[in-house]
Amino acid sequence: MEINIEKVDSVTTVRLIGRLDTPAAQEVSKQLEPVIADAGGTTVLDCTEMSYISSSGLRIFLTVRKAAAAQGGKVIVRNISDDIRQVFMMTGFLNLFEIQ
Amino acid sequence: MGLVKRAAGAGLLLVLVAAVTLEATALIQYFYSQKGIREEATRRAESQLDATRSQIMDVINQAEAAVRNSVWIASWCMDVPDSLAVVPSRLVRDNPVVVGSTLALVPGYSAKYPLCAPYAARKGDDIEVLSLATEEYDYPSQEWFTKPLELGLGYWSEPYIDTGGGDILMTTYSVPVTDKAGRIAAVLTADISLDWLTQLVGGVEVYPNAFSVVLSRAGQIMVCPAETLVMQRTVQEVGEGISEDKEMFDSLARSMLSGRRGNLRLHRGGQVNQVFFAPVEQTGWSMSIVIPEDEIYGGVRRMGQMVLLLQLLGLAMLILILYATIKSALKNKMLSDSRERMESELQIGRGIQMSMIPKIFPPFPERSDLDMAGSIVPAKEVGGDLYDFYIRDERLFFCIGDVSGKGVPASLVMAVTRSLFRTTSAHEKSPQRIVTLMNESMSDMNESNMFVTLFCGVLDMMTGHLRYCNAGHNPPMLLSDSIRPLPVVPNLPLGVAGDMSFTEQELDLSYDDALFLYTDGLNEAENAAHEQFGEARMNAVLHKRRNAADHLVAMQKAVNDFVGDAPQSDDLTMLFIHYLNDKQPDMTERHLILHNNIQQIPQLAEFIETIAEEKHLDQSMAMGLNLALEEAVTNVILYAYPEGSDGLVDIEAVIREHTLEFIVTDSGKPFDPTAAPEADTSLGVEERPIGGLGIYLVRNIMDGVTYVRSEGKNILTMTKKI
Repeated sequence: MEINIEKVDSVTTVRLIGRLDTPAAQEVSKQLEPVIADAGGTTVLDCTEMSYISSSGLRIFLTVRKAAAAQGGKVIVRNISDDIRQVFMMTGFLNLFEIQ
Repeated sequence: MGLVKRAAGAGLLLVLVAAVTLEATALIQYFYSQKGIREEATRRAESQLDATRSQIMDVINQAEAAVRNSVWIASWCMDVPDSLAVVPSRLVRDNPVVVGSTLALVPGYSAKYPLCAPYAARKGDDIEVLSLATEEYDYPSQEWFTKPLELGLGYWSEPYIDTGGGDILMTTYSVPVTDKAGRIAAVLTADISLDWLTQLVGGVEVYPNAFSVVLSRAGQIMVCPAETLVMQRTVQEVGEGISEDKEMFDSLARSMLSGRRGNLRLHRGGQVNQVFFAPVEQTGWSMSIVIPEDEIYGGVRRMGQMVLLLQLLGLAMLILILYATIKSALKNKMLSDSRERMESELQIGRGIQMSMIPKIFPPFPERSDLDMAGSIVPAKEVGGDLYDFYIRDERLFFCIGDVSGKGVPASLVMAVTRSLFRTTSAHEKSPQRIVTLMNESMSDMNESNMFVTLFCGVLDMMTGHLRYCNAGHNPPMLLSDSIRPLPVVPNLPLGVAGDMSFTEQELDLSYDDALFLYTDGLNEAENAAHEQFGEARMNAVLHKRRNAADHLVAMQKAVNDFVGDAPQSDDLTMLFIHYLNDKQPDMTERHLILHNNIQQIPQLAEFIETIAEEKHLDQSMAMGLNLALEEAVTNVILYAYPEGSDGLVDIEAVIREHTLEFIVTDSGKPFDPTAAPEADTSLGVEERPIGGLGIYLVRNIMDGVTYVRSEGKNILTMTKKI
C-alpha cells in the first residue's frame, strides 16, 4: 500500500494505492496522523487505485470521518470500486461518507 | 557363574594336590637323602677313623717291632752291663720313629751298677747317650719302668711332654727284658715323638669343620683343636666343666676310655655333632672324629630348602597361573555372558522396536481404497529407521524416518521419534504442524545431537488430498501416470534447531496413484565394488505394477541381488502406499498455516487467488472471501495468543463443486467471535464505534459461520455457496 498526501488550500487529498489490508492499515494510520489532526477542511480520500479494504481500513476511514466531524471539516471518498462500494454498503459506511 | 566357580574349585584342588604331592615327594626325598647322607657320613667317618687309626698303628707297630727286635740283644747284654748303652743307641739309630731309648736295669740286678739306665737320644744326626740313673729322676719309680714289670708285657706310657727335648709330645713304649736265665733284668724303652700324630689326626678333614680328638688311656687329651687342652686336661676334667648334654658327654668319654667303638650324637656349642670313635689298640688310646650335623646334613638341608623354595615358587606360579587363567576365564565368561545378554537384549530391543511399527500387512484388510506395505531391515540388531501409519478421521497419517547413526543409540531416538509422531499427530492434521512440534520436542532434548530425517504425510482417504511435509528426508517416489520423485521442499532434519520452520506441501492423489517411501539404505545400498543401488534400479522395480507387498519383496530382492555378499551398511526401510479410492467426491482441499503475525496476512490473498483461479471465481467473490478470511484470521492473530508469544493459525479450504468451506483453527485461548454483539450499521458518525466490524463482515459475506471449541482449539468454520 502506498499513500500520497497532497494539500491544496484547505483541501487535503489522500491517494490510497493498493490493498488496504490489516498490516497496510497499521502503516497508513501512522501516516495519516497529520491529516487527522488537521481535518477541519475538506479531506478527499481518493480510492481510485485502492483494490481492497479490510475492516482495519474501514476503521481509518471512520477515524478520519470522526476527526473531520469534530473539527467541522468534511470527508469525500472518491471513486471507490464496486466491490469496495459493496463493503461500504454492507457496513453502513455509504451513509457516513460522501461518495463521489 | 556356576561353571566358573567349579573351575575355580577344581583349580584350587589342583593346587592343593600339587602342593601335597610335591611336599610328600620332597619329604620322602629329604628323608631318604638324609638317611643316605647319614650313611655316607658314617661310612666316611668310619673309614677315616680306620685309616687314621691304621696309620697310627703303623707307627706304633714299627715302634713295638723295633723295641721287640732289640729285646734279645738286650738280654744278651745283661751279662755285660757296660755294653748296655749300645742297645738304646742302636734302637734310636736304626728306627727313625724312635727319638730316644733307654735300657734300664732293675735295681739290684747288677751288683756293679745297682742303678743303670743309659739313655740314647737323637740330637740331629747324632745320638747322645745320657744316664737316667740319677737320684732326682729315680727311674725305678717311673711308670714306664714299673708298668711293664708289673704287667710282664710291653706297655705304652701315658703321653707326655718332653720338656728336655723341646716340648715334644712323646709316648714311651717299654717292655720288660729278661736275661738268659729268664729273670726279669731290665726295661727297654722307646720314646716316640707324637708330633706326627697331631699332624696326622689334625689333617683329617672329612668335613670342613669336622675335627678329631685323641684321648690317652687315662683320658688325657692328646689331639684336639683346642690347643690349650692338649696334654693339659683329661677328658674327665673337661667333662666336669660341661653342662650341655653332660650325660651324653660322659657316656662318650666312658665309651672311648673303655676302648669301645661306635658313634653317638652330642650337643655341643648349640649344635648337634656326630661323634665317631674307635680305640687305637695297644696304646689304649681312643680316637674320635667329631662332625657337626650341619656339616653332614647341610648339603641335604640346603638342597631341601632349595627344593622347598623351588616348590613354593612353583606353587606360587601355579596359583598365579591358575588365578590368571580363572580370571581370564571368568572375564571371558562374563564377556561372553554380557555379550550373550547384550545379544539377547538386542533381540528383545529389536522385538520392542518392531512392535512399535505396524507390520501386519495388509494393515487394513477391510479397506478397498488402500493397499499398503512396509518393511524395515536393520543393518544391526536394532536400527534407527522407522515408519508408522494409522488412520484417524478417514485420514491416513504416515511417516518414514531415518535417525542419524545406527545401532542402539539410533534405535532409542527412533523409538522417541515414533512416539512423538503418534502424540503430535493425535491432535493435528497438518503434517507441517506435526513436523514442527516433533522438531521442537526433539531439539529441546537433543543433547546427543542425533538428527532425524522425516517425511510426514496426511492423506485424506475421501478426497485423495495429500498434505505432506519433508524434514530433510529423500523425496518419496510418486507412481502416477509416470514415476517421478514427489516435489519436496527439502527443509532440515528434525533436531537441528527448535525454531526451524518447515514448509508444508500438498497434492491430490487420484485413483491408483501410489507413493513409495524409502530410506537411503535402499538407494545407497552398496555392492562389493562400492557401487550404489541408485534410483534407476529402484525405478525399474517400481515400474511394474504390483500390489504393495510384492513391490517391497521385489525391491528387497533387487537390492539383495545387487549387493550380493557385501555386508548391509545401513538400515533399509520402505513404505508403499497405493491409493485405490475410485469414488472420490468432487472435493479438494487447500491449506495454509500462518504464524500469529499480522505481516503474514497478505498470504491470504495469494491463497484465495489460487482457489479463485481453480474454481473460476469472479474478482468480487474473491475479494469478499479474502475479506472474510482476513477478518477471521486477524481476529486470531490479534486476540487468540498472548502478546509476544508464537502461535499458529491453520487455514483449511475445502473446495466442493458449489460450496467453499474455510476452517480457521488455532490453539489459543477460547474465543468465540460469533458471540460478539451485532454491529449497528445504522448509527451516525459520532455514535459509531471504531471496532467490531470484522466479524460483522464475516457474517455478511459468508453464508454460514460456526464456532466450536474442540480439543483445546478454536475452530471457526465459514461456508460460502459459489
